[in-house]
Amino acid sequence: MNGEDTKDKSVRGNLRLSFILPLVGFLVLAGFAAVALYSTILGTRNPAQLPSVLIGKAAPETPIPLLNDTAKSLDLAAFQGTPILVNFFASWCAPCRAEAPALALIAEYVPVIGITYKDKPTDARVFLTQYGDPFSAISVDRDGKLGFAWGVYGVPESYVLAGDGTVLWRHAGPIDRRVLEAELWPLLSSLSVAVPSGAADQ
Amino acid sequence: MAATLVPIGCRAKWGSGSMIAKLLIIGLLFGSFITTEIMPAQAITAEEMLDDPVLESRARELSKGLRCLVCQNQSIDDSDADLARDLRLEVRAQLLTGASDAAVIENLRSKYGDYLLLNPPISPGTYILWIAPFAIILLGAGLIYSIRRTAPSNAPAPVTKTPSGTTDVSPARTSIGTKLTFASLVLAASLGLYLMLGRADLGDQPLAKRQVEIAAAKQAEQIQSDNVNSALAIARQTVIDQPERLVNWLQLALAAAEAGDSQTEIGALRQALKITNGDNAVKSMLAEALSRAADGQITIPARALIKEVLSDDATEPRALYLDGLAAYQDEDYSRAIAVWQHLQAISAPNAPWVLLLDENIADAANAGGLPVPEPKEFAADLPTSNLAASDVEAASGMSAEERNAMINSMVSGLAERLADEPDDIDGWQRLARAYEVLGREGDAVAALIGAANAAPQDPDQQLAALEKMISSGQENAFGDAARQMIKRIENRAPNRLELFYLRGHFAKLAGNKALAEAEWQALIDQLPTGSPFTAQLLEAIAAL
Repeated sequence: MNGEDTKDKSVRGNLRLSFILPLVGFLVLAGFAAVALYSTILGTRNPAQLPSVLIGKAAPETPIPLLNDTAKSLDLAAFQGTPILVNFFASWCAPCRAEAPALALIAEYVPVIGITYKDKPTDARVFLTQYGDPFSAISVDRDGKLGFAWGVYGVPESYVLAGDGTVLWRHAGPIDRRVLEAELWPLLSSLSVAVPSGAADQ
Repeated sequence: MAATLVPIGCRAKWGSGSMIAKLLIIGLLFGSFITTEIMPAQAITAEEMLDDPVLESRARELSKGLRCLVCQNQSIDDSDADLARDLRLEVRAQLLTGASDAAVIENLRSKYGDYLLLNPPISPGTYILWIAPFAIILLGAGLIYSIRRTAPSNAPAPVTKTPSGTTDVSPARTSIGTKLTFASLVLAASLGLYLMLGRADLGDQPLAKRQVEIAAAKQAEQIQSDNVNSALAIARQTVIDQPERLVNWLQLALAAAEAGDSQTEIGALRQALKITNGDNAVKSMLAEALSRAADGQITIPARALIKEVLSDDATEPRALYLDGLAAYQDEDYSRAIAVWQHLQAISAPNAPWVLLLDENIADAANAGGLPVPEPKEFAADLPTSNLAASDVEAASGMSAEERNAMINSMVSGLAERLADEPDDIDGWQRLARAYEVLGREGDAVAALIGAANAAPQDPDQQLAALEKMISSGQENAFGDAARQMIKRIENRAPNRLELFYLRGHFAKLAGNKALAEAEWQALIDQLPTGSPFTAQLLEAIAAL
């Protein structure tokens, strides 16, 4: 009788285990999903934001002509010593229009370099007169070859380069208030750029 | 033709797409411009394949393993995104330089990272991805094993209490065995399903279907554009060979309109205008071409031309139509309605644009908040009429020879189309009218018989063909068709008075005077007293 009791218990224990293990597995998966969903809602996780392979590496060469002087090509080395923001945009891109005021604000603190991606120079000029020209230099990537070298997969796309030309940050999509306050200002602040007061404290 | 199915419809006034469609349709209706249907543009564009089939198949294989970073769940081989196209071109460009598959992948990966690869490499970031399935299988197997190990020791407990002994043990064992079999079946089925449908390197199903579609669409597009372009090239050549002939310029304009080359069309019409010394019909065509080039907007130069035409000839139908359209675009709806109603009033009741005008008028009335005028009533028996005003209008201002050449070219196109689509009653009727103009009475009768065959249930179509046959004296050439058509009328409408006349007429031709007299006498008996036909029939009987 005694022996049978222990057997019964071990069977019950196993049955319980066979019930609990899948449940635990399910809960772990559900937990992953919940965290992902929550951070997506908060905006800290964006599945559309792909990691850039350029991070921590020197920015690729930019052998593309300037918008206003096609004889010269864009030379990022000229900005050596200060952090810069490189922005791929196009006149045909609606989010680029939404992003224009943010770029104007950023340009007050660091030089912003514009690269028109797969755009006609005439269209780009119209865009600049309509939505403002905050750029320290603008060059033309007519066929998207430079965008390919940089791993651009959509416009607008922005890169922050350190003073020595290393890529520190890439953002796909328009820069909005959340991106400014949560990512860009803290980053620029860490590069000892004076950023809007209040933002750096956060 | 379905011209009446295209509504003036849209509320957009200037440069709207349906306006263009409408102008093109007007071109069709007015009969001078476009003889074939306008084909819709193909959505699928030609892609960027390599000439070398080996390289191309390598490119296809590579593309299937590369993620489109825009669509993310598609390979660049599947995706229509612009970036996917760029990457496909890049893959092919690199293959052309002689790069190996691995080198191509490595090059792209150095730009876009591991995420580009649909088959992800094993790296710290993907350990969970690769290990999790095996871990889950091991876990499941362990679980099953532990249950199985304890199950047999579970069974003897009740067995010891039964006198029948060990035979009762087997059900418990079997049930564990069944469970195991079931579990492994599920595993095997999942694996099979994954290998068949879920593998990362599989193209998706819709793509496979689309390949066929794309190829077919490409081919159709190619054939169509080849046809249109060769027609345009021929028209250009004839203009170079004989620049003094008006019909050549008009045909060049027609071919250019079909090819969507409005500059050539306008140039050709300007030349035609010079040759004809400012003919109103050509001027109206030019106004239409100018408007079509401006996305349907009746432009200032077009308006000037329309005004010139109408001050010289207030009944020019195309100019009137465009004048109404101009008023419509100015939102002067009451004038638009007035102009279109005027055009209706002076048009033959069966002119092909009358129905469209009804729609336009109703639309203008709605747009202007005006009461909708009553649609114009039609005579039901269309086909007995003479040549449509459109043909006369289009051909005016040309020499007889040029007119015939122009109509001939239109007619052969129409006849070819009808051979393929014999159900187009309107088409047969137009063909018959064209043959009448050309004096080809026999062909006109044949075309009307075509219309009658297209509508065997409609006695009026049969009667129209028979009337034409008799009035042009072609009965002997079409004896069989005549008998068939009379039989059809007898089946559908045995009381039609025309039947008596027709039977009598064909009896007379067959030499059966007694039957002819009997039929005609029966007809006289049914006619109201004092009918003008009575005297004619009595005369005919006397002539027998």
